[in-house]
Amino acid sequence: MEAFSNQILVAVTFTFLAASVLYLCHWAFKSKVFGWAASGVTWAALAALTLAIVLRWVASHQMGIGHAPFSNLFESLVFFAWTIAVIYLIIELATWMRTIGSFAVPLAFLSMLYALTLDPAIKPLLPALKSNWLIAHVITCFLGYAGFAVSAALGAMYLATGQAKDPASPRALVLDNLIYQTVVVGFILLTAGIVTGSIWANSAWGTYWSWDPKETWSLITWLVYASLLHSRFMRGWQGKRMAVFSLVGFACVLFTYFGVNLLLSGLHSYATGK
Amino acid sequence: MSQDQARKPIAERIWDFFASVKLSFFLLLLLAVLSIAGTLIPQKEGAAAYVRAYGEAGWRFISAIGLNDLYHAPWFVLIMALLAANLVICSINRLSLTMRIFGKDPVDEAGSMRKPKESFTLPGEPASNLDKARQVLERLVGSSAQAQDQGRTVLFAQRGGWSRFGVYVVHTSVLVIMAGALVGNFWGYGGHVNIPVGSTVDHIILDNGQAKPLGFSLRLDKFNVSFYPNGMPSEYRSDVTFIDGGKPVQKSTLIVNDPAEYKGIDFYQSSYGNDLKAMEVDLIRPDGAKQRLTLEARKINELPGGAKAAIQGWRERVQMGAMYDGPVARILYQEAKGEPQAYTAFRPGVKMPQSGPLKFEIVKVQTESYSGLQVKYDPGVWFIWVGCTLMVIGFFIAFYFSHRKVWLRLGAAGQGRTKLEIAGATNKNRQGLARLISRLSHELGGGPKKAE
Ligand code: HEM
Repeated sequence: MEAFSNQILVAVTFTFLAASVLYLCHWAFKSKVFGWAASGVTWAALAALTLAIVLRWVASHQMGIGHAPFSNLFESLVFFAWTIAVIYLIIELATWMRTIGSFAVPLAFLSMLYALTLDPAIKPLLPALKSNWLIAHVITCFLGYAGFAVSAALGAMYLATGQAKDPASPRALVLDNLIYQTVVVGFILLTAGIVTGSIWANSAWGTYWSWDPKETWSLITWLVYASLLHSRFMRGWQGKRMAVFSLVGFACVLFTYFGVNLLLSGLHSYATGK
Repeated sequence: MSQDQARKPIAERIWDFFASVKLSFFLLLLLAVLSIAGTLIPQKEGAAAYVRAYGEAGWRFISAIGLNDLYHAPWFVLIMALLAANLVICSINRLSLTMRIFGKDPVDEAGSMRKPKESFTLPGEPASNLDKARQVLERLVGSSAQAQDQGRTVLFAQRGGWSRFGVYVVHTSVLVIMAGALVGNFWGYGGHVNIPVGSTVDHIILDNGQAKPLGFSLRLDKFNVSFYPNGMPSEYRSDVTFIDGGKPVQKSTLIVNDPAEYKGIDFYQSSYGNDLKAMEVDLIRPDGAKQRLTLEARKINELPGGAKAAIQGWRERVQMGAMYDGPVARILYQEAKGEPQAYTAFRPGVKMPQSGPLKFEIVKVQTESYSGLQVKYDPGVWFIWVGCTLMVIGFFIAFYFSHRKVWLRLGAAGQGRTKLEIAGATNKNRQGLARLISRLSHELGGGPKKAE
């Protein structure tokens, strides 16, 4: 079952690639057919990905080391792709702006592609990782990261499609509002992720905050988004500035996620995928 | 700085400075940038590590401004204090304004209608449409107030005014979390203790190396490690008994992620290992006479004949090239009438320089497993959890609720018809307000806008 799940994951990766290409064609040729095909393929990829995650979960239980599939870098990347697809498809259903898919779905593909370079074996959990708070921590963090990922995709689209030239156009306003909404979703979930992470750390080793690099970087990301939100409330920053800020914020997210593991060391080194 | 600004008294200018959101924007980003520095420069390492990485001068600079423990450096704490001051003063400044907006008399509000967003006509005189209009308004928005405006009737209703306080909930939560961290810093402590199986301890070693009595004691009844089939450890488990006033009062099981608490002090499973229990040694006198002694660890052993001995330290295995490979112990020995003297003991048969008239040889080493517990007392932790909960609740209020006001104006349109106008205002989420207004208009019988 583990092997089957892994085969599905490989297939899903290339399905996301196909969906990305279809979204780009839709954008380039302004063709409805490509748009519908792109959405259909993305939904199919999401369904298969969900199945693969569930199978992996079941497989771990059959191996007698059952745990939720959110315990190492490989599993987190797969879940990250899943959350990006979910948040993107919600936005697609709400707005029918399929051009966004050209920017968001490739992120899901890249996340899966990175996962494929890692060892997919299901491994037992270290004692410190056996905690329901950890599951809550991973789920909230990755939903938050996905919110930021989609907001960055929207920001990139805002800049790439030249909305800054006419920031008062209905399309630019909708995009601007979507960037804001996804940042807010990401911010609330990142906050919840930091809180659940603290609760877990407190029960595992008795400190809710120890300034390890991963924690510190999540705080940095949080501070950057907090200042972004304040600049919007108080100085009315909109449009191009929000778009740029959402990209800067997402760069912080990426560093928190990958950079810390690759370049710095700390308590979260379990997440190096080794 | 504007002319106006320059004329203000200094106290007021300081107040304004602290009330500005520009300052908080700057402080939030400054904290972010400094925190980045803290993740690039290794924290709390020994001096040697810094000298190696940054050279002598670099290390002097780093230690002078506390970059080696940046997050606890006075100036870092000061920036947080500035942020707190910023937050408090900004909130005080705006709270009176918010209270005024929140407490406005609805009848006054009804008298100051905004520019209408929709308008259409209905059959029937205004008086006959008033009741229905009020019903719809109260169902979709909230209780209404009424005013007259040049012969026309204005109905006013609002909802979500309380959500204006969401921001204050968020900002208060930040302060509560900061307070919790302070309380933990001043009144809390952390340490560890290693308990051999079956032993009882009554003090812990604080992080700064000092011993601290607990005021009660703790016995390790059992320690167990279980493994996965592949050999990885799956659980560390200590069964302990808390003993207070000489009586066992509480039995607890400690596993990783599941600490135990007694009298507000938390105990966490954190490590385990083997420690010396006792050692059998031969004491060899200059004349070759041998005496077998059993020395227990961590105590002064009273020997037959009035002598005393204690094991000061030991290593399970010391390798010295071809010379020696085995256990080493440091033994303090005192004859009945003599001065204490330290000896180093090895396995028999090794040629080692001797430090005194006597010689000790290790015959047998007896170890016992111990469980290492992390110990924590933090009276501030509840502030943290309360603050975090408040923050998340505050976010939902601040981001997902808004203060919406709606006005309906009914005036005579001639030929027995009523002209109905709808206006609205909100502090955020304009799209939500627009949806509310179009729903109102739909239920009141207004068509699409073109019907005007
Ligand atoms: C430290 C972390 C902080 C967080 C997480 C935070 C969070 C928030 C949030 C969620 C809002 C949303 C308000 C809304 O939608 O209406 C907000 C608004 C605001 N914040 Fe902060 N804030 C922080 C620090 C500060 C500081 C230090 C100041 C100091 C002046 C400040 C001043 C304001 C102001 C003036 C508003 C607008 C209030 C309004 O709309 O009336 N914030 N903040």
